[in-house]
Amino acid sequence: MGGYVRTTSQSSALLGGLSITHPVLKVLTASVQNHISRFSDCGLFTAILCCSLVENFQRINFAACTVTKISRHLLSLCTDYLKSEACGCRISVDFDSIKTLLSLVHSVLASKPACMLNKTEANHLSTLVLKAFLLTIPHTVETNVVLGKCVIVPVKDKRVMDSTVFPGLLIEIPESQLARTFPVIRVSSSTIKMALFCISLSGDLSNIGEGTVIVHHGISLEVAVLDQLLNLGKQLINDQVGLVVCQKVIHPSLKQYLEEHRVITIDRVGVSMMEPLSQLTGSQPIAALHSVSPTCYGSLKDLRTESFVSKNFLHLIPNDTLVCSLILCNRNEMAWDELKLACQTAEHVLQLTIKQPLALLGGGCTETHLASYIRHKSFTLPASVLKAIDCSRTQYQLVADAFSRSLECVACCLEHDDGEILTDMVYGHFWSVQSGFPSDCNWSDLVLKCGCGICSNQQNLNWTVLQSQCIPFTP
Amino acid sequence: MASAASLDVGRLVQEAEALASAVRGALGPRGGQMLLTRPTGETLLTRDGRRVLEALNLGPPTARMMVACVSRHHSMTGDGAKTFIILLSKLLRGLQAILDKREGSPFCEDIQRRESYQKHCHSLKQISQSLMTFQTHILDHIMAQDLRKHFLSAFSSWEGEISRDTMESILEAYFCGRIGNSHQKLLSQLSCDFYYKCISFKNGRNEMLNLVNEYFVELHSAVTGLPVSNSRILEGFVLHRDFAVYCPADGDIRMLIVTESIDSALSASGLEFVVNAEVQYQASQVWITKRTEAIMKHLQNNNIKVLLSSVKQQEIVTYYAKISGISIVECLSSEEISLLCKTTGISPFIPTRDNICSEITETMIAKFCQPLVLGSKRYVHLGLTKTCAFQPHCVIFCGPVHGVTEQHASAFHGAFKMLQQLFKAVDLSDGCEAQPETPVNGQQLKTSMAETEKQFIDFSSLVGENPSCNQTDLQKSADLAMPIVELESDFMFSALIDRGSSVRELQKPPVKCQHPSETWIKNKSEPVVTNHRICNDAMTAIENTSTSVVSKQLNSYKHTVQSYTNVVIQAGSVLPVGGNFEILLHYYLHSYAKQCQQPKITLISTVIADALLSIPKILYSTTKENSFTQVYFKATSALQINQQLPMHQQGLESVYCKYQLVASVLHCVAKLLTIDLIIGIRRLPQKTEVNDSEEDL
Repeated sequence: MGGYVRTTSQSSALLGGLSITHPVLKVLTASVQNHISRFSDCGLFTAILCCSLVENFQRINFAACTVTKISRHLLSLCTDYLKSEACGCRISVDFDSIKTLLSLVHSVLASKPACMLNKTEANHLSTLVLKAFLLTIPHTVETNVVLGKCVIVPVKDKRVMDSTVFPGLLIEIPESQLARTFPVIRVSSSTIKMALFCISLSGDLSNIGEGTVIVHHGISLEVAVLDQLLNLGKQLINDQVGLVVCQKVIHPSLKQYLEEHRVITIDRVGVSMMEPLSQLTGSQPIAALHSVSPTCYGSLKDLRTESFVSKNFLHLIPNDTLVCSLILCNRNEMAWDELKLACQTAEHVLQLTIKQPLALLGGGCTETHLASYIRHKSFTLPASVLKAIDCSRTQYQLVADAFSRSLECVACCLEHDDGEILTDMVYGHFWSVQSGFPSDCNWSDLVLKCGCGICSNQQNLNWTVLQSQCIPFTP
Repeated sequence: MASAASLDVGRLVQEAEALASAVRGALGPRGGQMLLTRPTGETLLTRDGRRVLEALNLGPPTARMMVACVSRHHSMTGDGAKTFIILLSKLLRGLQAILDKREGSPFCEDIQRRESYQKHCHSLKQISQSLMTFQTHILDHIMAQDLRKHFLSAFSSWEGEISRDTMESILEAYFCGRIGNSHQKLLSQLSCDFYYKCISFKNGRNEMLNLVNEYFVELHSAVTGLPVSNSRILEGFVLHRDFAVYCPADGDIRMLIVTESIDSALSASGLEFVVNAEVQYQASQVWITKRTEAIMKHLQNNNIKVLLSSVKQQEIVTYYAKISGISIVECLSSEEISLLCKTTGISPFIPTRDNICSEITETMIAKFCQPLVLGSKRYVHLGLTKTCAFQPHCVIFCGPVHGVTEQHASAFHGAFKMLQQLFKAVDLSDGCEAQPETPVNGQQLKTSMAETEKQFIDFSSLVGENPSCNQTDLQKSADLAMPIVELESDFMFSALIDRGSSVRELQKPPVKCQHPSETWIKNKSEPVVTNHRICNDAMTAIENTSTSVVSKQLNSYKHTVQSYTNVVIQAGSVLPVGGNFEILLHYYLHSYAKQCQQPKITLISTVIADALLSIPKILYSTTKENSFTQVYFKATSALQINQQLPMHQQGLESVYCKYQLVASVLHCVAKLLTIDLIIGIRRLPQKTEVNDSEEDL
């Protein structure tokens, strides 16, 4: 009784939550999960395609090795077609215009119904995710481009529309600290020096070694270490450092000493924040207690405080924005988790798009288009290829048909409202119509727009019901 | 406490057949895959017979013994696990048929014991001995005499170079059996590329193969979630760690290996550090920091750019490394360190008081050293400039699930083991030689030596019968100025056994020589002085075996030395795939059995020959156009008119691997049949439960 309830439309959460016993299904889910771990998106697409491929191939009941050989060839046909310039279902992504990028992000967010976003919320979030992504791209292009980082800051119990993006980092601090520390020491009006420590400044004894250490009576090593720490504090103040951030704990005495001299201290930021912090400020994590090299210090443009609901943040504003913070708001914990996953997926998709600036048509159009391409190809395949695969033309066509059916099956899954799915005989796109239409009516009266929205009913496209027996055409 | 049971051949047959049926479906190019699931939920796709058999977790000790034999054979040759167990089951079935017949069987006739159990045991042991003698003597000679003319050479020229086409067809045939036809082409291309990229000069072939086989874990990485077609070969090494500190560097990068922490601790083990004052403690802390800084500065001055460490370095070290522009890779495994040391020939750097100021010499130079992202993991990609016979390259296996990449990796590893075997040669003396790299032969030697006294009668008659055995008298060969002293000691040992045999030969009716080309020159003269010297040499060579038996032979028997016949299998010998080896061996064994006048050997040869046919029977069971009967008929009719066999499939396989397979199977059967009693001991399950030593005889 009781327990955690989760609503989700993410394949990673769905497949991770299922307990599967059948070994073949285990292999299948493991492959889908591995696919998601590489590409973040399209897990459900992969899973449905895999299952319907298995189903359709079993139905034709050929020897396994024949089916593998033919489907390997079909796969190479598909990838070659998708890679070729002539491909009719892909568009190149132009990074100069925001439109394609925005629709890419939008389609990722909109494909996760469990996020429960309405249209304006989806648009708002898409803009934010894209903005955050653009902030992480470095201004100067070198040989090795390293993208910055977008840190997602959770704020629950607020509306989705309250989400925002800040350039720089937000670090949560207790309220009591806010009043004490301002104003900070500045080197100049637009520069604040910062020191980043990766070792503990708690005054613990470290690296004693494997042997024994004998301490005479009346000598306190703790005092010795604290002495060293305060000396370090003196050096930091002399070097005009305005902000000290430590991955681990800072000794309260050192903290107090620094704060007395108007130096802001933040400790226990954790290892995950170290990389964005050093990227943001250009500081090198310091691991020595004495003779700190001044080259390790980083710099900030400004420091501000921001507060959201009940949380207080220190906003680190850098000179060069490579790191940004996305404050993600949602009503409750569960919906927030779902939204965070969707945003991360969208961010990853954008990152992958930089590598290969190409996108496929959405809304089921790619699947139906590819299916009709494969059908067409299977009828015009040269005999030499069949000989190389060692199968007959009929065998090849049957497997190709099963393959196309599986692709169409994925497209059919997009129709949730019990409607009918049509395809046109010119482009092979996906058209959804309401069910219960009269049999003698004109198709063009029923259809409005295809799945991806490129084609409209203005063109006379010769529609037909998907998966009905029809003559192959050239898409 | 312990339960004892005697050996039942019927049970053996049942066990072997159960094991064979587990793997039969995956044999050959049209065989299927097997899906193993672990209790942890992991799944593994495999066609690897060894994997499947080992995963079965068997109870019966004899079945476990069979699997152990399969594993040993497989780990040596990288192939043939399925064939092994199928052959074994057929062979046992054939032997059982002999035992069941009883009457008229040559293994039962001359025994006059009362108890039938003892009689049974005795006949088992006789079979076992005959199998051993068959393997040590007849198999080699049939290989050398009959099969050798069918062998093809993988080398395109006498210099021992192997052409890419041949290499591809060998590897393709191998992967066909190991992973099926789905990714066979890709993997054979990959392994072929790997072979040619790693080899720097052709004399370094064996060294390269040894290194690849020993360090295969370090030389490959797996990425899940990417298509298999993304598998590729990378130049250089991939160290399975991320940089602790990464400072990009260009040009020739000098690197250093360290195996201990650079930062020194306050006290070392076994030492005491006495703190007298707080200032002293602070001063020593400062000193330690300064020392670490000085070492890092020293490394920087020596132009060291990368530090490869087998241990975790202190934060202070990474801090100063970052300042000095030195990259650090830490927590490298000892295997990775030793691989790096072996390929570059350097030794780890140990910072001491003395060398802190002197120049550092033990460095290696890399073309590049950069981070590499594979899947979600970050690794270090290292390209060395000066290396040994092995040009460092590594393989990246991609696949949808871990089970697939693992399968590909183990098949790839097996392919290189197979190549290692391909370049081995077999001498006629190999059968009795204690070779360190062939444990089967080594063990078998001990067996045969310990039993020599008992087996001696068989031995002598056998070798006498053998038409292919070319014996000359020692005296004669000495007259012919044959460099006896130069003969290798192991070769002489084989001669010793032959000496014993030819004495018996004299007491037996004269044997008809089948081949007129073979000459038997016999001399009844007493041993000459030189013989003793050779014998002494031989004695020292085989100290670990029972020398008393040998010396007895020396004193009482006439000595002949077998002249130096050619090798049985030359390095790089191959045969077309598709059961050709089995059909050939079957054919020649049958014809040998017809001529053989020893009833026991005739029987054994026939059983082995028939068992061999089971492999092509399974291979051709699924195809319609090439049924087994057609293939077999074509092959035998071609052999009868001395033609080469018709080829049905592309692809070649190593003869040495096949030869090893038959030898291992025979050895396994012989070992199984010598079991007198199976005692199950509950207290010590880790100890061997099988009592198969010869002392029970």
